[in-house]
Amino acid sequence: MSESLSTAQKAVKLVPGSGFTGSTDDQDVLLEISHLSKNFGGLQAINDVTLNLRAGIITTLVGPNGAGKTTLFNMITGHIPPSEGDVRWQGESVIGKSPWKIARQGIARTFQDLRLFTQMTVEENILTMMEPGSWLWQPGKKSRKAKRYDKVSQILERTGLVEKRYTRALDLAYAERKFLSLARIMATDSRLWLLDEPASGLDPNSYNLFLQLLREEVKEGITVCIIEHNLDIVVNISDRIAFLDQGKLLADGEPETILNDPALAAIYFGER
Amino acid sequence: MLFLQLLVNGLQVGAIYALTAAGFSLIFGSTKIFHFAHGATFAIAAYLFHFALVGLGLHWIFAVAVAATSAVVFGVLLDRFMYAPIQRHEGSFFTVFVASFGIGIVVQNLLGSVFGRGFMSVPTPLSNSVEVVPGLYLSPLNGLAIMCAIACFAALHFFLTRTFVGKGLRALSENPELVRTFGLSPRRLSTYAFALGSLLVVPGAIFTAAGTGINPAVGHHVMLISLAATIVGGIGSLRGAACAGLLIGVAENLAMWKLGTQWSEAITFAILFFFIIFKPSGFFGRATVS
Amino acid sequence: MTAYILNLLVLISVYAILSTTLNFIIGYAGIFSLAHAVFFGIGGYTAALVAMNVTPEFFVAVPVAMAAAAITSLLLALPALRVRGEYFVAASLGLQVLAVTLFSEWKSFTGGIGGVIGIPAVELFGYPVYQPWQFLLMSLICLTIIIVIIRTLVHTSFGRSLKAIRDSESAALASGKNITVIKTLSVVLSSALAAVAGALYAFYMSFINVESFMLDTSVLVMAMVIIGGTATILGPLLGAALLMLMPSALTYLTFLPQTEIGSIQQMVYGIAMVLLMIFRPGGIVSSHPGGNK
Repeated sequence: MSESLSTAQKAVKLVPGSGFTGSTDDQDVLLEISHLSKNFGGLQAINDVTLNLRAGIITTLVGPNGAGKTTLFNMITGHIPPSEGDVRWQGESVIGKSPWKIARQGIARTFQDLRLFTQMTVEENILTMMEPGSWLWQPGKKSRKAKRYDKVSQILERTGLVEKRYTRALDLAYAERKFLSLARIMATDSRLWLLDEPASGLDPNSYNLFLQLLREEVKEGITVCIIEHNLDIVVNISDRIAFLDQGKLLADGEPETILNDPALAAIYFGER
Repeated sequence: MLFLQLLVNGLQVGAIYALTAAGFSLIFGSTKIFHFAHGATFAIAAYLFHFALVGLGLHWIFAVAVAATSAVVFGVLLDRFMYAPIQRHEGSFFTVFVASFGIGIVVQNLLGSVFGRGFMSVPTPLSNSVEVVPGLYLSPLNGLAIMCAIACFAALHFFLTRTFVGKGLRALSENPELVRTFGLSPRRLSTYAFALGSLLVVPGAIFTAAGTGINPAVGHHVMLISLAATIVGGIGSLRGAACAGLLIGVAENLAMWKLGTQWSEAITFAILFFFIIFKPSGFFGRATVS
Repeated sequence: MTAYILNLLVLISVYAILSTTLNFIIGYAGIFSLAHAVFFGIGGYTAALVAMNVTPEFFVAVPVAMAAAAITSLLLALPALRVRGEYFVAASLGLQVLAVTLFSEWKSFTGGIGGVIGIPAVELFGYPVYQPWQFLLMSLICLTIIIVIIRTLVHTSFGRSLKAIRDSESAALASGKNITVIKTLSVVLSSALAAVAGALYAFYMSFINVESFMLDTSVLVMAMVIIGGTATILGPLLGAALLMLMPSALTYLTFLPQTEIGSIQQMVYGIAMVLLMIFRPGGIVSSHPGGNK
């Protein structure tokens, strides 16, 4: 583990959830998923899911393997069209829009298999997230460009990747890659983050830093929805939990309620 | 009557295209490898058939065996010694395609150097046309080719739906991960895919060698058609590739009638373009997801 | 002897332009095109037409040639880039084959199989350039300018977007990039610059015909890019030089049958491509021999 990473870790203290106090039901709904369904030629991957993602809190999406969690993400980000139902972002439907348009509207995601820009350096990976424009140059003068480079430096500091600035993404260690994935999303101006198993396989120190970063972002008003398998992590981060099984949303509420429900536990651990 | 003649010719040529395209589609569908050297397999089978029959004077059964063996061996060797290492070292579409292309070039030139660049064909009474109906000439070869193609497709269908390996190959094209959980090895299945896919070119190669004749560029031509047919038929659909192959064979011949021989290759690609623009999933393909 | 070397150098610079521009889309954007010779041809034929019917002025003929190639590439890119990568390969192959037929049949534009003869010497602001060393200078300047353009682009946000698309299309999409537009732009640019090579070639040879613009040429240029090294600036240059020198080098190996030199040449780069893909996918000049992905 690089030196700068461990220095950042020293500042972390463990607090459950995002540090959010109060009832999550009172938060504004930013993303409304209504009656969403997806049928893959006979296989019902998602079945009539209605879920709201609220501002300023961390919602965790849990469920056994194959429950459809990633498919749900894919439908929100426009990578897959739904068979039925609607997804509204800040009041406006995003169904039928191309993924890049949805991304520009403020929804960002990470992938379970990371999908880093492997041949590019860490710096380039982060920089390119701030450059969605298609033309041969980005609009804005030199000052904007300098600001972007500054932002890159800030993000590198916070994620402990300063020393790897010019390293190819392909050559990074496992934890560094996970942090780069997070760094990329931090570079965007998105208000909704969909993270697909972002912390899996991280050692405890890295995991604490990760959590700390998430909390800082949530405090700034970012809405986060995480797919997570590891119950320890789920217990630690969630302000709200949504439980998905075989494409159906079984429960959606405060962590204590969900985690103490024996029926859900049975499904999660495979006894039906 | 000319129309009917061209239709019949087109069906024969189309039957050959259908088989070869099905072979390519099988390989690409199950292994996701863009086996651009498929045309080279065809060329090798055709030339070795010719060599065995005419050069060595063997009985045609042995010549067929030689062609079949060489095709399968070539396909499997490529899978084992070229594609497998590339895929182990993090092969991407690029590397696989380029290597495949490279082998194609090598084979084409090797065949040209060894056997000569001119057109060659196997002299056989079977290719003599008989005037069946005034204006319509058929040769036994035409009929044989079509029947053989039908038989091969029937056998292929049986193999893919009834045998363990066949079902494994279909599973591989749907979901490689699932295959592993059932205890099958994608690597092994990949070898089978190459063996079977390469075998499928053999009838076509033999009939071409006996009928219209071959030259070193024949593999190249066949490859282009197989590629176009796979896309027009829909990636992942063998049925589609076969139908498209048939369609292209007929279209090529009809085009020769109306536009002259120089446009026949162009017609194939005009069809391809049409599909890419208007229906990229082809006849029977699944919807493409990034 | 000098004439021989000058000739070789001019040809190397023409092909270096082709390989550099092809590398832009293959190496940096991950877009595979087998149709590069088509734009080489369009550039040549258009420049010849302008030179013979309007004016042989470089600064008129070349931009027109570039425009013709750019527009044609749009016809290829717009439908074919919307779908999967394999489709683009097939579509580009299709375009290449179609183009050869068109080049052979469209007598008024291309002179059919006979080609275009008697192309006048190119003029720079009215000053005719016909001495070989002058021409070499001109080609080298064009090559340099093109290299600078490409290199600059690669280091800007556009270049990063291209590389992002190459490395992971889905992640690039998810970051808000309109990948179809970006890919289309890169193809159009690459084709327009390839047309410059075509114009130079037409002026230099004073005669062009379809044989220079067939699939063989597209394959040769691709081999140059791959063998030299993708996603590097030096790679395509090295590739162009190596593959242009190879025929002459092979003639020195007198034990090889002279009639087979063409075949042997192709076999050499076929084998080179295979071996490189197994052991060094990045090409000779690659910075990371471990290769892509």
